[in-house]
Amino acid sequence: MNGSDDFLTAQHLRKDFDGITAVDDVSFSIRRQEIFGLLGPNGAGKTTTIRMLSTVLNPDDGEVTIGGNSVTGEGDKVRQIIGVCPQELALYPELSATDNLVFFGRMAGLSGREAKGAADENLGRVGLLDRARDKVDNFSGGMKRRVNLAIALMSRPQLLFLDEPTVGIDPQSRNHIFETVDALRDAGMTVLYTTHYMEEADRLCDRLAIMDHGQIVRMGTPRDLKSEIGDPETVTLETVFLEHTGRSLRD
Amino acid sequence: MLRPLHIALIELKRYLVNKGELGFSLALPIVLFALMYGAFGGEESFHATAEIVDLDQGIHARALINTLDAMDEITVRERTLDDANNALDRSAILTAVVIPAGFSGGLDRGEPVAITFRVRGNGGDTGQIVEAMVRSVAQQMASEARVAATVSNALSGTDIPQDRIDEVVSRKLSDSRQRPTVGVETRLIGDEAPDPVDRLVPGLLVMFLMFAVTLGANVLVEERQNGTMERLMTTRLGINQLFVGKFLASTLRAIVQALILLSLAFAVLRIGDALDFVELTLFSALVAMAVSAIGLVIGSVARTRDQAAWSAVFITMFMTVFGGTFFDVAGGGPLDALSRITLTRYAIDAMFGILAGGETLVQQGLAVAVLAGIAVIGLLIARAMFKVAGGGR
Repeated sequence: MNGSDDFLTAQHLRKDFDGITAVDDVSFSIRRQEIFGLLGPNGAGKTTTIRMLSTVLNPDDGEVTIGGNSVTGEGDKVRQIIGVCPQELALYPELSATDNLVFFGRMAGLSGREAKGAADENLGRVGLLDRARDKVDNFSGGMKRRVNLAIALMSRPQLLFLDEPTVGIDPQSRNHIFETVDALRDAGMTVLYTTHYMEEADRLCDRLAIMDHGQIVRMGTPRDLKSEIGDPETVTLETVFLEHTGRSLRD
Repeated sequence: MLRPLHIALIELKRYLVNKGELGFSLALPIVLFALMYGAFGGEESFHATAEIVDLDQGIHARALINTLDAMDEITVRERTLDDANNALDRSAILTAVVIPAGFSGGLDRGEPVAITFRVRGNGGDTGQIVEAMVRSVAQQMASEARVAATVSNALSGTDIPQDRIDEVVSRKLSDSRQRPTVGVETRLIGDEAPDPVDRLVPGLLVMFLMFAVTLGANVLVEERQNGTMERLMTTRLGINQLFVGKFLASTLRAIVQALILLSLAFAVLRIGDALDFVELTLFSALVAMAVSAIGLVIGSVARTRDQAAWSAVFITMFMTVFGGTFFDVAGGGPLDALSRITLTRYAIDAMFGILAGGETLVQQGLAVAVLAGIAVIGLLIARAMFKVAGGGR
């Protein structure tokens, strides 16, 4: 688990909220240039885990290092090498796409000229360069999701957190996001990806962990996980997911 | 180091592109001023134009015209007789004052002279008042001329030179004008109560600045609800920088709005001079800072817009009501004591001192210290509560 190629290492992470344990003794690592999937039903602890990894929340226990920097002790250094695309749209809808990207670029430490250049580059990457000056509020849901992703890329991160980036969008936008994530990995980026869509995880992720009740219940490559319960050519990841998280309804 | 400025600028940009909010926030001080003007703007003193025909062209006629023109209540417009008659025929004017030829000569000789008032109908209320004022000035001049002529006649044949007689009479008459035998004094009911405008303008201005409590609270709550707060916390932006940026944004917006209200009050109500305006603007900026810091304290703990709005409304109302916005709370008693825990009390008293008390900004040391202290301590508390309340790192 602590191989020399690991870019992120999380060990025994725990987080309680008002006596309820949201994340319980979670340990995993992500290798450089790997797309690592974090799957789990609602309330499994995925988002809380990402919030701890991205320095927003301090863990109650455990340790995380990213690029050799401790998340709790060297937060400033960690924030220089990560980018976060949160589950909820986190942008200013009354402003244009460019204004949003340039602003977050400045917050990431880019100069005005660098931020403008990076904004054009990233809007082009998500296919929105021709709508750069339009107000985000007038965009479709899929376009807003792509802006949300483009903002996360403004800091030129080495590690990108994508928290359910394809929720509620059309197939075209979803496919565009897949292609973008693939291209980012090919360009050397490491990605932590959470999703509810099993086919998405199967298509994109090199390895994945299934979380439930705040714990990692299974971890491995999609093929390995499928092999555990049957023929990997016929078993779907959804079957694996239901096998490990149960079939009862969740909130 | 520029990140707080970028935070403030993006906040202002969002404010400017939101046409509805922008329009409302700019219209609010104008509407508030209109209400203020409606309440107090009608209390201006009488003013009218006196239409005068000078057929005499002598020294006393000119003196009469100049005396009338020097009065605050009257502006003189000289006309020819034909012009005045035409205007009266057309009802363009309702009263004209005609100074007949021989007016000055008659006065010099101590003879009775007459001024003619040509009126249409009853001359109108304004015309009647102008007529009374002209009559009063003319009678004063006539009686002075009569005194001068009487003294001159009485001393004629003595060895006192005429120049000397004229000089002494002129001086005595001037003294008499300066210190009339019967003086008239006007007192406001309620003894020596100050002009209510001088009290209410600072009160309304501070009340308006108190809206920055809501602005300050909202800039944080909106950020949190947009999800952008969490995103910002994953960037290189320091939380102190975030707070300074939000503080600047909230303060700037409040200053712009206060400036509109203040400009209208000075331009229309003429409540002070240019120095007063500058001092009140600077002081308003200080109030805006203190109030914005209070808003950030609320915003750092509020989780919803409702929580922020109700908390801000409560604080605004409490300070407005008990801080002396609408009435003077000084003079001891529980209300006086209660008002001292509000920043509005210090702000209004200082502004009142500048506006009506002839004081300067430098003399408002206590108020400046209190407001600056609230701004600094408020920011520190907001920062600390943001951390405790789970706002993040």
